[in-house]
Amino acid sequence: MFATLAFHWQIYRRLIGAQLRAQMQYRVSMLFEIAATALIMSLFFVSLALVMQRLENIGGWNLAQIAFLWGMVETGFGLMDMFFSGFDPAFFGRRVRQGTFDELLLRPVSVTVQVFGDQFVIRRLGRIIQGLAILTFAFSTGDIAWTAAKIAYLPLVLAGLVLYFGGLFIVGATITFWTVESIEAINVFTYGGSEMLAYPMHIYPDILRRTFTYILPAALLNYYPALYILDLPDPMSLPGWLRFVAPLAGGLLFAGALAFWRFGVRHYHSTGS
Amino acid sequence: MDTPLIQVTDLAKHYQVSRRRPGFWGALKTFVAGGHTLVRAVDQISFSVARGELVGYLGPNGAGKSTTIKMLTGLLVPSAGELVVDGFVPWRARTQYVAHIGAVFGQRTTLWWDLPVMDSFELLRAIYKVPPARFAHNLAEFRELLELDGFLNTPVRALSLGQRMRADFCAAMLHNPRLLFLDEPTVGLDVVAKERIRQFIAHINAEHGTTVLLTTHDLQDVERLCRRVLIIDQGRLLYDGELAHLQTRFGGQRELVVDFSEVYTNVDIPDAQVLELEGQRAVYAFQRDGISASELIGRISARYRVRDLSVREPQIEATIRRIYEERLLDAPASAPITPFPAFKIQESP
Repeated sequence: MFATLAFHWQIYRRLIGAQLRAQMQYRVSMLFEIAATALIMSLFFVSLALVMQRLENIGGWNLAQIAFLWGMVETGFGLMDMFFSGFDPAFFGRRVRQGTFDELLLRPVSVTVQVFGDQFVIRRLGRIIQGLAILTFAFSTGDIAWTAAKIAYLPLVLAGLVLYFGGLFIVGATITFWTVESIEAINVFTYGGSEMLAYPMHIYPDILRRTFTYILPAALLNYYPALYILDLPDPMSLPGWLRFVAPLAGGLLFAGALAFWRFGVRHYHSTGS
Repeated sequence: MDTPLIQVTDLAKHYQVSRRRPGFWGALKTFVAGGHTLVRAVDQISFSVARGELVGYLGPNGAGKSTTIKMLTGLLVPSAGELVVDGFVPWRARTQYVAHIGAVFGQRTTLWWDLPVMDSFELLRAIYKVPPARFAHNLAEFRELLELDGFLNTPVRALSLGQRMRADFCAAMLHNPRLLFLDEPTVGLDVVAKERIRQFIAHINAEHGTTVLLTTHDLQDVERLCRRVLIIDQGRLLYDGELAHLQTRFGGQRELVVDFSEVYTNVDIPDAQVLELEGQRAVYAFQRDGISASELIGRISARYRVRDLSVREPQIEATIRRIYEERLLDAPASAPITPFPAFKIQESP
């Protein structure tokens, strides 16, 4: 068990390391790309800030408070996109369609480890940097009453977001074993979901809010933790402990996604797609 | 001989394919009535391969070759039948099993596209847990045989097809697999590159005792490398035996080209058919079991003045094409015929 884990970790590290070396061959263009991504992505936030000079608040939240939601989602999604690129449905779907997924099955290592090591895109650092910059803005302009517990909870919330979005990527990748035409549908949840999580949940119509609280627990990942850290009341008056389940919700979704992934790989073995 | 390396018994792979009807009403009908068609991609085939054999696996496109290979490599789970390779049931113990096999696909590379060749080899060393000493020894041997030195540090995407195939062969052999699957390994290569690949295949088979299953449409590969061939069509195994037998059984007619010393208007000879007569040259066709070449030559030179002559053997390519097209080996519906059982091939002339 431990030996297998160590072996998997070693292979993962080597696969990623080899990719980093290959991508680092063009260091200057890489740096430019990272900077460009960070700049372009932050334009979205700048335009929000401009709009909010007029609106003053969205659903009672000021710019600094929204910046907290926004920064968390961007950082979480960016981190996920770097570590889970191998599962990106568009990328992985191409592997299945072209039959190159078979190559992974011909190597004596778990396919999950190989897919994790299949792509590691340093460019995504741009999005992470942008997310961290927005978070810095949120921390410096808003007045957050920091406590040790809040500081300790912050990375856990981030981990929950990474696992949540990663789980969605894995589900999307698995669906491509059956069909590659549905990639757009899963993008609604990943890219669309990241957009939605950047705003306070209570501004959405009831049906959307309920769906993303009870069915896909997205609200638990960012909005409820934000209520805790920003010391805001819950307009839906749900139990207070819901503010602390973000890593659990992300972890459960991720575990479910992995189970579905294993089922998909087994299906692939019996049909060859 | 001990137990065979590959033992395939009544292996089958069936697919449910949803029947598509054309047009809107057709689509609706399919939706309502369902309607799946059972496709027998591989239909009850049996054969065995002994350790150290080099076997050609032939068949027209869509015959079931790649489905068989996918089952043999553990990628696909069979619908029925038994399959044991080197003591493993491939699909059941995939990760342990694939450590003992290698595969080269002419159509695509198994190396990392953006990495230098050497980096790919290093990754494979870790993945297959090849001990450092063995890795160094193998690499030294293969880089010389395959002449890899010029491009070991070049990214795979920048290699020519010939270089890429050589690198792929090295990659497939670094962990000393007992069994090597080759799928169209010489496709698209020039004559020189093809020959180099063939030499390498012959070398690893002879020197390392690697068992090789070769799937190809290039019959020169087969002629050069394989004594034994398996022919599959429409999911059924039609032939299992020596390549040479195929030629004598189905080689059909041979041709005799004769250059006469003068122009004749009638050059008919019993038991031979005149295919062409132009100027002083005539081409005869004659059946292998009808008349021998020397007999025919005797008859011709008894009647006419002959300057030169040559016998043309039918190309193996043409023979195999005839077998596919004319279905010369149609198997009966129940069990596939194996005219020459695998373990008797040594006795044949």
